[in-house]
Amino acid sequence: MDEELGQIPGGPPIAAPSPEDPAARRVPRPLVETVLPIAVVAIIVLLLPLFIPSFVSSLVTKMMIFGLFGMSLNLIWGYANIPSFGHAAFFGTGAYTAAVLVTKVGLSSFWLSLLLAIIVTAAVAAILGVPAFRVFGVGAGAANPIYFLLATIAFGELLSRMAVSLRPVTGGTTGLSGIPEAAIGFGAKTNPEQYYYLVFVIGAVCLFLMYRIVNSHYGYGLRGIHDNERRMQALGYNTWLYKYTSWIVAAVFGGVAGVLFAYFGSTLVPNNLAMVTSDISFLLVILGGTTVFFGPLVAAVFYVGVEYVASVYMPQRWPLLFGAMFVIAIMMIPWTKGRYQGLGPEVLRLWRRVVRGSA
Amino acid sequence: MALLEAQDLSVHFGGLSAVKSVTFGIEPGERLALIGPNGAGKTTLFNLLTGQLAPSGGKVLFKGQDITNASVYARTHLGMARSFQITSLFPYQSTLVNAMIGLQGVEKSRYGFFRPFFKDQALKAAAQELLESTDLWDLRDEIVSSLAYGQQRKLEIALSLASHPELLLLDEPSCGLTTTESADITRRIRDLGSKITVLMIAHDMDLVFGVAERVILLHYGQIACEGTCDEIRSNEMVREIYMGSRKQPGAGG
Repeated sequence: MDEELGQIPGGPPIAAPSPEDPAARRVPRPLVETVLPIAVVAIIVLLLPLFIPSFVSSLVTKMMIFGLFGMSLNLIWGYANIPSFGHAAFFGTGAYTAAVLVTKVGLSSFWLSLLLAIIVTAAVAAILGVPAFRVFGVGAGAANPIYFLLATIAFGELLSRMAVSLRPVTGGTTGLSGIPEAAIGFGAKTNPEQYYYLVFVIGAVCLFLMYRIVNSHYGYGLRGIHDNERRMQALGYNTWLYKYTSWIVAAVFGGVAGVLFAYFGSTLVPNNLAMVTSDISFLLVILGGTTVFFGPLVAAVFYVGVEYVASVYMPQRWPLLFGAMFVIAIMMIPWTKGRYQGLGPEVLRLWRRVVRGSA
Repeated sequence: MALLEAQDLSVHFGGLSAVKSVTFGIEPGERLALIGPNGAGKTTLFNLLTGQLAPSGGKVLFKGQDITNASVYARTHLGMARSFQITSLFPYQSTLVNAMIGLQGVEKSRYGFFRPFFKDQALKAAAQELLESTDLWDLRDEIVSSLAYGQQRKLEIALSLASHPELLLLDEPSCGLTTTESADITRRIRDLGSKITVLMIAHDMDLVFGVAERVILLHYGQIACEGTCDEIRSNEMVREIYMGSRKQPGAGG
């Protein structure tokens, strides 16, 4: 673990414990393994719209939004071992909040709608988190995690029912349409190509924040809970507080993805809060693997790509394909006897092979 | 004043009384061993003392403070720590991370939201000290699930020491170890120093007689007898309950 730190550029040098320590003499893992891939991906994504038709860049926008959505779920699932079948509740809450503010209340600023959506999502998560963790519970001391999972499904369905019944505000079953282009200030509106960059910037900021969180003291507290919650309590950790706060944090990032989605598609339906949408985040985490930070982002690229191809060649077969992806993603780990852990770890392995091969 | 006191402590699961009005105290710096046959309620009593289980009746006092209803983590902050009979570590993390997570449990920094975990040099130095004192420093980069069992048991004890406890509750520290490893654990517990009070469950009589100053025998959830090691060794009831009633011919004293 020492060498992982040693590579951070510009960071303070790691004090070697003693000159005899073999770790001190080990060559720090080269920059090429972390900084280079991030730079390469960022440059490709930034330059891509110049070379591809606009409908493809809108697909990339969707990949980024869904990637953020999947990664926000992985924050609690992969790091704290809190699975949720209702993550769309927060995705949809963020999306609906922003959309209602813009179309019904007449708020014009994108940033203000984003901020208010974050606050509303956090509040909804804070309220739902109390019964989720106090009554149903997951982890040490909980009767059976299945109750927790069923409760998370119920949260999504509950909110989508509310979206149906609050017709004057949410547009009922037909939902909200005609969400305008994001107004990012100075009188500027974003056309789809500019929105691409807006999503990229917000997504990058969210990824950076999430990366900092999972690698912080708090993040390692979550890892400890993932591995052994009873021991964490015996060590002095209030694990309830960790689980509850991580639930809110994951909800906020899911809500941001929802806001980006609302402005992207310009239409929202109650299903954006329900199981149908939760399934997507669930699939992204399974497909991408829970063990790698960016796993769901890789999965989102794959998922959106497959969805697009399917929509062109066999639009009626999409649900079948979606189900097949689910089954295969789940079966792959036992089939390969654990050698395959998801798309994320595979990409990481491939990258390491490329780097080591050329070095 | 006793450091830890159990007053009339009981717990029953349905009709089964696992612990029946147990009363005892442990003085600061003392080494007390809890022995008894399987199913005597030793681990259940431990769980009552550390807060994993809520008692049906009675009180637990720590440093004179009633902690009967305090949570597990609150007790740790007061100065109690425990080890587990079934090895209880963070299997997917390295030994170093195990120690670091263990050490920050009572630090304010544990809620640090943005500060990178691995840049905490003070925490790393403390982890190094902890691991060096248990001879695990050379294994710091190994994933814990790949460690040998004896090494995992050592880490188990290291983690229970990580919160700098005044009272250490050890649940069968030598469980499943070879004789040599067990002797090593015995030596380590003996070397803990008088600042740490030890209450331990043990089946291994070498460990009990090697470490303990006083022994309590638990039988069917009740204290059957207590006394010094010599008293326990020569007690007729202990032989009957614990070591089997049949006297072996020629086995004198």
